[in-house]
Parts: sequence; structure tokens; C-alpha cells
Amino acid sequence: MAMASTTSQSQLVEMSWDPVTRIIGNLGIHTKIDFGTRRVVECKATSSIFRGYSVFLRGKDPRDSHFITSRICGICGDNHATCSVYAQNMAYGIKTPVLAEWIYNLGEAAEYMFDHTLFQDNLVFVDFCERMVKETNPGVWERAEKTEAKNAHIHGYRTIADIMRAFNPFTGEYYKTALEMSRLTREMFCLMEGRHVHPSTLYPGGVGIVGSPQVFTDYLSRLVRYTDFIKKSIPLNDDVFDFFYEALPGYEEVGRRRILLGCWGAFQDPEHVDYRYETMTRWGRKMFVTPGIVVDGELVTTDLVEINLGMRILLGNSYYEDWVNGEVFVSHDPLGNPVDPRHPWNQTTIPKPQRRDLENGPYSWVMSPRWHDERTGEYLALDTGGGPLARLWVTALANRVHTPYVESTGHSVRIRLPKSASFPEMEFEWKVPKWANTIERNRARAYFLGYATAMAFHFVEQALNCIRRGDVKVFQDFEVPDEAIGVGFHEAVRGVLSHHLVIRNGRIANYHPYPPTPWNASPRDVYGTPGPYEDAVQGMPLFEENGPENFKGIDIMRTVRSFDPCLPCGVHMFLGNGKTIRQVHSPMLGLAGGAG
Amino acid sequence: MRKKRTYFNLLVGRPQAYPSMPSHIRGIHMGNAPGRYSPSAGMRRGRDGVLLVTARRSTGINPRRRNPIDPSSPNLAPP
Repeated sequence: MAMASTTSQSQLVEMSWDPVTRIIGNLGIHTKIDFGTRRVVECKATSSIFRGYSVFLRGKDPRDSHFITSRICGICGDNHATCSVYAQNMAYGIKTPVLAEWIYNLGEAAEYMFDHTLFQDNLVFVDFCERMVKETNPGVWERAEKTEAKNAHIHGYRTIADIMRAFNPFTGEYYKTALEMSRLTREMFCLMEGRHVHPSTLYPGGVGIVGSPQVFTDYLSRLVRYTDFIKKSIPLNDDVFDFFYEALPGYEEVGRRRILLGCWGAFQDPEHVDYRYETMTRWGRKMFVTPGIVVDGELVTTDLVEINLGMRILLGNSYYEDWVNGEVFVSHDPLGNPVDPRHPWNQTTIPKPQRRDLENGPYSWVMSPRWHDERTGEYLALDTGGGPLARLWVTALANRVHTPYVESTGHSVRIRLPKSASFPEMEFEWKVPKWANTIERNRARAYFLGYATAMAFHFVEQALNCIRRGDVKVFQDFEVPDEAIGVGFHEAVRGVLSHHLVIRNGRIANYHPYPPTPWNASPRDVYGTPGPYEDAVQGMPLFEENGPENFKGIDIMRTVRSFDPCLPCGVHMFLGNGKTIRQVHSPMLGLAGGAG
Repeated sequence: MRKKRTYFNLLVGRPQAYPSMPSHIRGIHMGNAPGRYSPSAGMRRGRDGVLLVTARRSTGINPRRRNPIDPSSPNLAPP
């Protein structure tokens, strides 16, 4: 990370973090900070690399698309592969066998466990570790030393300071345990999807593994070990985050933005899903993570058709030419609803590289996906809350998930984790929070790990039931039609994921994956609406005790990282013309200190 | 014969592949083609359409002896 600062007129100081470290890909955060009032006055989020998947997928065999799109990301590639398979299933008219669906769900649950653990415990918690807190908020550290952890009897750390010591990178006990857990959950993943992170056994129509009792018991034995970890982890997360609210009154304003959350649903229910667009509303609502949109705390819809038709890809500050007068690939959906020219089915990517202009735009390769709210006519800049916040929020309000291990109540989600080596059966309840802010995004991640763990128990039981009754079919044969359309909705680890596919002459005519980060990291759109990162950072108060000279921007970084940014994937450093580097440091501390 | 050209100090032929070339070559059997999956040895379709397996899926040597004694028992054939 490089921090460049330039003093401009009045008391405003320009501060840039480009690239932001401990995330995936190259994200730049450019801010103007008023150190008089200790507030961020303006924020712009940029991405400086062009990927072009939608360009080079054209003309390819659609059966290759899940293998190709998996390579979009080096950490959640399997989410892309799964979503692409869902889109292909719709296009080819496939109903996947029951056991294959459970295998998909088990693989994806393991992926959530792996990725969230790695990100939360090895990357996010560096922002909350002893060395970071000592450097940025010495007063908070002193208080942490004196504050008893409420759940010490579960996790074993007596004070909050003890927890923060355990977060220290490379040396902290909790940090190292989390790394072990990442390995364990990756093994679980590989049992189901063959290889991490680009699965080798997922295909449209099913999977390529043989469902045997052994493969599921291998998964289960690892899952029980992980359950022990997550039973400690959730109370530990609660202790740390509750402490920040107590130690820094007003911290709820950090990263807070209007509640605009989108979740596209995860974990198909094989008894209901048939991948037909015409029935998508029904089977979408049967998913084990309910799809939906929450606006200002109110659940607006759980209908995937409505969600699909409301999607708009806007430009404004992105390096692309407009395509709105170009070819329309899908004028009406299979239900006869009109499809907008700015919908991903009709998008044509026309890159237009140019100089970055942070003042007047354009300044990012990310486009501006928005959801058109028919009720108000607004183009909503939905965010994913890092993934878990939106998933839990929608599932809680929708009150549609009722399994032996996870129960939504209309205002909360109850997670029941069965007995494991060190703990008896335990129940956790995630309650809808008052705010969509940095702390709640991070807290939700820990609870969603519990959710994925609990659901995995349900999936294993269901898969073993299939095996016991001798139903081992895991693949459905199919033919590729000459003309078809498809859409897949899924949840990548860090939020909403959709793949829109158009097939003509048996080849891909148009393909547009929309992962979570274009939603979260979008720049200001044509209407001037800032993207969620920009919106969350802009106007937020700063609690860091350092002045401009040795300012680390810890509150800003915590906010950006709470969204789990993922802009795969490149190395880039931009310092701007005429700016002077005042300070270069590495937030990883320890071994890499000073490396930038 | 395809025209050859010199690439640095190597004499090379014309490329036979292009970036948008599909992985499937016309005339080759496709794994997804209808009828390619179910006839595998040791698999049979049950009453309600589910695909059931027997020990024949795992071995060709006396597979019947390895099936459960009671036909109503689940057949847990190893991979």
C-alpha cells in the first residue's frame, strides 16, 4: 500500500491508498480528508485493470464457459463455475439429479467456510490486532488491556487485549489456527469439487465425482473439526466488535450507509429447482439462502425474475463506450417481460482506455451496476455487505428457511451447531442490526460461517440419505441447443453473483458475469450516484488518534475491507502526477514492514 | 501444403488453432450427449426414475456375491 498526501486549499488533505492491500486485486481509494472536523469529505474508488471476459467468451462453446469464468477469480473461482453451470442448466433445459445438487451445496458451503475464515481471521483482523491498534489508537489499546472478554469461558482469551494479541499476523495464536482451518475447509471443498479454486468436477448437468459413503464421511469428519473452531469464533467476534462500540462511542457511524442490500441466493433445494426461467420465482424462494433486496430495512422482493429484470449496467465514470444503440440480444424474457437495453443480456462491452481523471471522470474500469426500483424509479446502488450481511438480512426477513440446523424467524436467523469434540450443541442467533456499517458487515461474516457450517450438516445428511436409498445419479445428459438464453444466480463469497448467457448457432453470442465487486466498487454512475465504497467512506468520522503526518487511515481501511473487496487480479501502483510520497508503509507489519 | 514462415530462427507452419476455437471437435463423441451416461455397468434405473447401482459398478469379479444379502438393504458400492 502506498499513501500519498498533498495539501490543497483550506484544511483538506488528499489521501490515496492505491492499491489497497490485504484484498484481492487492485483497488484504489482516493479521499479528501478534513482533519479539522476529522471527517472524510470525498471518496472515489478506482480499479485500474481491464479483464475482458465478456469480450473473449464470445464465439466459444458454451460448455467451456464454467471452466473459463472460473478463472475470473483466484479465490472464489468455484462460485463463478457454479453460477455458470446454473446459467447453462437453464439454457440447456437440464434438471440436475438430486445428489449432484447436494454435492454442489456441500462444495459451496466449504468454499464459504474457507474464504470467509481466511479473509476475516487472516486479513480483516490484522486491522484489529494488537500492533495495529497500538499504532492507531493507543487509548483503545489501554482500555482493551483492562476489559474482560464476556465470552472468555468459551474462547479462552481473558481480555480483549488477549484476543487482539492472538490476531497478530504470523505470530498470533488465532491467526495461525485460522490458517489451519483454511486448509481443512479446502480439503472439504476438494472432496466435492475436485480441485480448489478452479473445480474440475462441475459440469452442466451434474458433477463428475462418485457419490460414495466414504466421500461424505470424509467431509463430515472435517466439518466436525471445523465446527469446534466456529463455536469459539462467533463469541470471539462478538466480544471484539462489541468492545469497539463501547470503547469508541459513535463508531457505528464508521462505514455506515443507507441500508441497500442485495442477495441473489445460494444453495439450491434439489426437490424444487428445475432451472426453468418460467418457474424461477418459485424455486428461487426455496434456496437455502433466500434471494432478495432490502431497502431501508424493508424486504422489497424475493423474486429472482423481478431481481433479474431490474438489473441495469450504467456508465458515467467508467472507461467504456455506451452500447445502448447496439445490438439487442434479448428483447423479452421467456415470460414475455421486456428486457432493458442496459440489462446484462443486452450489454456489449466496448472498452475505451483513457487517462484517469478523478475530478471530472472517468476514473475506473468498473462499471456501475444498479437495480431499478420500479416503485420509486430510483437506480439503487445496492451493496452486498461483504456478502454475509445481505445474505443473513434477507434470509432473516424473508422467513423462508426452515431446516433442522438453520431457522429464519422473520427478524433473525437461528443457527444450531451440533455437538463436537470440545463443545456441546450450541445455538447462535444473528439478529437484524440497526445499521449497515463496518462492524456489522464484519460481525455478519462470523455468523455466516456458522450458517454455512450448520447448512453443511443438513446437506451431508441429505446426501447420505440419497446414497442409502441407492440413488447415486450425479449427471443428467443433455444436448446444446442452437438458440437459448440462460441466467444463473448465486452468491459468491463476497456477495451477489449473476451470469447472463446468450447462445446463438450453438456458440456464445453474449456472456456477462456480474460478481459482487462491480456492485460494491462501482464509481459514480451517470446520475452522479456514488458506488457503495465511495458512499460508505464519504462523510464518515475518523477515530484514529494519529494526525496527518503519520495517518494510517485505519477506519477507512476497515470500512473498505468490511466489504471484502475482490478486484481480480493485477498488480498496479498509481501515485498521480506531481504528488509526493510522504510515507510508505506496509500494514502487514512484521516481516514485510517497510516493503510497501 | 500450408505456407511456412520463419519465426525468429525457427521455421514454423501456420497455426491450426485460433483463440476462439471450441474445445469440442465435430465428429468426436460428446460426454454430455443423451444416452452416454446411464448405460454404465452396474447402474440401472429404479422404479421412480432414480439411478441405482450394484456392486458391478465397482468390480467385474463375482459382483453378485458382493451385493447385500437382503435385497431391501441399501447397496453401498464403493467407488
